[in-house]
Amino acid sequence: MKVVIIGAGEVGYHIASRIAFEQKEVVVIDTSEDALRHVSESIDVQVVHGSGSSPSVLKEAGIEDARIFLAVTDSDHVNIVACLFADYISPKTTKLVRLRDTDYIAYKKKLQTYSPHIHTVINPDVEAVRAIERFMSVPGAVDVGDFADGRIQLIGFRLEKGSPLPGLRLMDMPKLENGGNILIAAVIRQEELIIPSGKDVLKEGDLVYIVCETRYLTQTLSLFKIDTTPVRRVMLIGGGRVGFKMASALEKRSIKTKIIEKDPKVCLKLAENLNKVMVLQGDGTDQNLLLEENIQNMDMVITLTGDEETNILSSLLAKRMGAKSNITRISKFSYFPLVEAIGIDHIVSPRLSAVNTILQHIREGNVLSAISIKGEQAEVLEAIVSHDSNVSGKSLQKIPFPKGALVVGVVRKDDTFIPTGSTIIQADDRIIIFAVREVIAKIEKIMTVPLKFY
Amino acid sequence: MRWRYILWFVGTLSCFLGLTMIIPLICSFLTHDNASWPILKSAGITLIVGLLLFFGFRIPNNDHISPREGIAIVAMGWIAAGFFSALPFYFGHAFDTFTDAFFESVSGITTTGASVMTNIEAVPASLLLWRSFIQWLGGMGIIVLSLAILPLLGVGGMQMYKAEVPSPVPDKLKPRIRDTAMILWKVYAGITIAEVIFLMFGGMSFYDSINHALTTMPTGGFSTKNASVAHYDSVYIETVIIVFMMLAGINFSLHYQLLMGKPLAFWKDSECRFFIFFVFIITLVLTFNIYPIYDSIGKSLRYASFQVVSIITTTGYGSADYELWPSMTQIILILCMFIGASAGSTGGGMKCLRIMIYFKYCYKELISLIHPRAVSQIKLNGKPVSSEVVSSVLGFLGLFVGLFAINTVLLAALGVDLVTAFSAVASAIGNIGPGLGTVGPTDNYASLPSLGKWLLVWCMLLGRLEIYTIIILLIPEFWRK
Repeated sequence: MKVVIIGAGEVGYHIASRIAFEQKEVVVIDTSEDALRHVSESIDVQVVHGSGSSPSVLKEAGIEDARIFLAVTDSDHVNIVACLFADYISPKTTKLVRLRDTDYIAYKKKLQTYSPHIHTVINPDVEAVRAIERFMSVPGAVDVGDFADGRIQLIGFRLEKGSPLPGLRLMDMPKLENGGNILIAAVIRQEELIIPSGKDVLKEGDLVYIVCETRYLTQTLSLFKIDTTPVRRVMLIGGGRVGFKMASALEKRSIKTKIIEKDPKVCLKLAENLNKVMVLQGDGTDQNLLLEENIQNMDMVITLTGDEETNILSSLLAKRMGAKSNITRISKFSYFPLVEAIGIDHIVSPRLSAVNTILQHIREGNVLSAISIKGEQAEVLEAIVSHDSNVSGKSLQKIPFPKGALVVGVVRKDDTFIPTGSTIIQADDRIIIFAVREVIAKIEKIMTVPLKFY
Repeated sequence: MRWRYILWFVGTLSCFLGLTMIIPLICSFLTHDNASWPILKSAGITLIVGLLLFFGFRIPNNDHISPREGIAIVAMGWIAAGFFSALPFYFGHAFDTFTDAFFESVSGITTTGASVMTNIEAVPASLLLWRSFIQWLGGMGIIVLSLAILPLLGVGGMQMYKAEVPSPVPDKLKPRIRDTAMILWKVYAGITIAEVIFLMFGGMSFYDSINHALTTMPTGGFSTKNASVAHYDSVYIETVIIVFMMLAGINFSLHYQLLMGKPLAFWKDSECRFFIFFVFIITLVLTFNIYPIYDSIGKSLRYASFQVVSIITTTGYGSADYELWPSMTQIILILCMFIGASAGSTGGGMKCLRIMIYFKYCYKELISLIHPRAVSQIKLNGKPVSSEVVSSVLGFLGLFVGLFAINTVLLAALGVDLVTAFSAVASAIGNIGPGLGTVGPTDNYASLPSLGKWLLVWCMLLGRLEIYTIIILLIPEFWRK
């Protein structure tokens, strides 16, 4: 499979490195030779120098035989023009584009039905807001993801002191009273990802990923003693594009929200467009302001300014002054490993969110969606079992899934359940697979329909 | 630098090399030439060392390899390959000393073709096949081959590819390095097979055809005959070899384009045009220069064209003793040794591409003296060449000439005469083979002092891996943590 990416920025680079790792052919186009050198030196891809919106450059990159075309430069204009020409040259190629401007987003449907026939429009800001909302749904968790239209949830949480779990073998785990299943999909211990078996013992400090059905969520959370107090008061710092989107989303959910923004003009605009949200003009790192606005009573502080150093500092300051938890916007991927060490609860990155959304669309076979978890060592894939697939009609034990992959959920018509080894997979089932990076290509192969002859 | 990575890779390479020794072994069984036991012994040693390193230093798959490790792997890989390839010669008593065996083997894998064998025809057939075969392996590059066939190296591949493939601007034919390496080797093997067939039409035996094809395509120049190609004294065979030497001296990505249905690929590439044109001009000049000796246009054209192509493509076959030719011709041939073939080909030397960039740079400098405010760009194939590439080319040419000078002085210090020292170093660093004086086309390198042979081994490796990959091993900073 060939993928052509225009834009070797942080998003382009990251996607390229992820898919090149899975033995796919990747061509990256960019106007900056420095960026291209960085790409070609560290990952096994081909690079083409030139503007992605130029048809001749697209041809040189071999767009004709590309399965997927990604336009992820920083400029919406370049992205759209590039898609347009990609559509003329190679109509068969699936086109994914990153667009920032909300003006364009309004025409999403038109862009899909008429030329350039964009398959998916990705707005990093919207993706970031969605990620924040997921975090807010389970405040005690480190990582939250949902599948099967939200019927199955993946929750990552750290085993703190006082949790009942450390020291237990997985097979002795407490069970839910009404028969629902919970599955431990993965454990991250000292930066290392383990797909555990029944005999493994949990330890304090482990980051545990559990899968459960959404209807048993509260029950599960209380069983594991995870904080479930809903978020009622939120302080937003930074009123830019993401900040504004977040504020309006919170407004809709009737959560008491205050938003701090430095720029008086932006504040005016915010006040114009928001009704219930309290708009405050000031500096997010100003202690007095935070005190005045009762930072100690806040359930959550979300820092979303464009400057990540400011975000980190305000988040830490707010937490120190008594805010219960924080979410910090960080763009530089190289800062991610620091996050936990310095006391930031959650990070959100429009770029990382965009990367994840794009990856969902790149998966081959009947794979519907995918999200990646902590440190990108593993992914959760969602796939439909087709009639003629090798998988249907077999029990889970008999399917030759590679080591490092685990089926964590099955959706059958309106029924959702967590499977055991003897569960038989049927055609049209949606199965949810947890897999480490190395085996993703193999799973795609297993899930791909065998060759059809006409 | 993580040594286990380097050792592990060297181990993998040795295993592979040990397995390829099956080829001369089969040849030995078929011809009953009494060399089976030495080859078996060498294969055994190579495999055992390889497996020990392979299992002793297993590394996690697909780990990232830094540029520095890439260079170290390539350099160490080549040195190890030279060492293990020498074993069959040594155990087979083709040479008295290990120095000679090692010289012959490095001369083989670096595609130089300088020999220390005094009577080639007396050596067992299987050892000669091995000699030709390692030259063939070295031509397209052992690392490129392992990238193509071993599914181990995805991430660090590009680093190693760049360290091994001789080109100032490495191009990737396919997005994945593995596919690129695979294509190059397929094209290479395909053309080699074609040559075997053409040579057999000319009445050459199957065994000799294979040997000559295996040494033409890497622009190596080992022959199974004492008199090299002159032995056959056939216009047809010489023409076939001229054509295939030219093919080997052209950038292999152009061959690929040609096969992909672009008939004008050769003509559209400015380096290729330069290369063909240059060969043509030099051949004409030499033909007229040697006309008085042969007294026939046909004969002088025949010998001049073969010798010019053989030297420029850095192959080094002989069809005539050019030491009997006028001194102007000899000087031109020596200068051709420096120029070499195209970038991305199997040939050695400085490469036409670099010479072109160099001349364009000089011209640009001159223009800027006349028009101080002129803004101009050095272009190749209509595309601007970045100033980084230009400065790396200038650096390369400077280093090439500098190392040539230093090594000539060192060889002369060992008591070798002026013409021999000068031409031997030029020939070794350009991976050609024959030189002048006591290392001329009718003599060989056996008479050199053994320290001199080691010096030339070093020169051959420098030339094959394009200076930087080998010379960097001498820089203390490279070894620092």
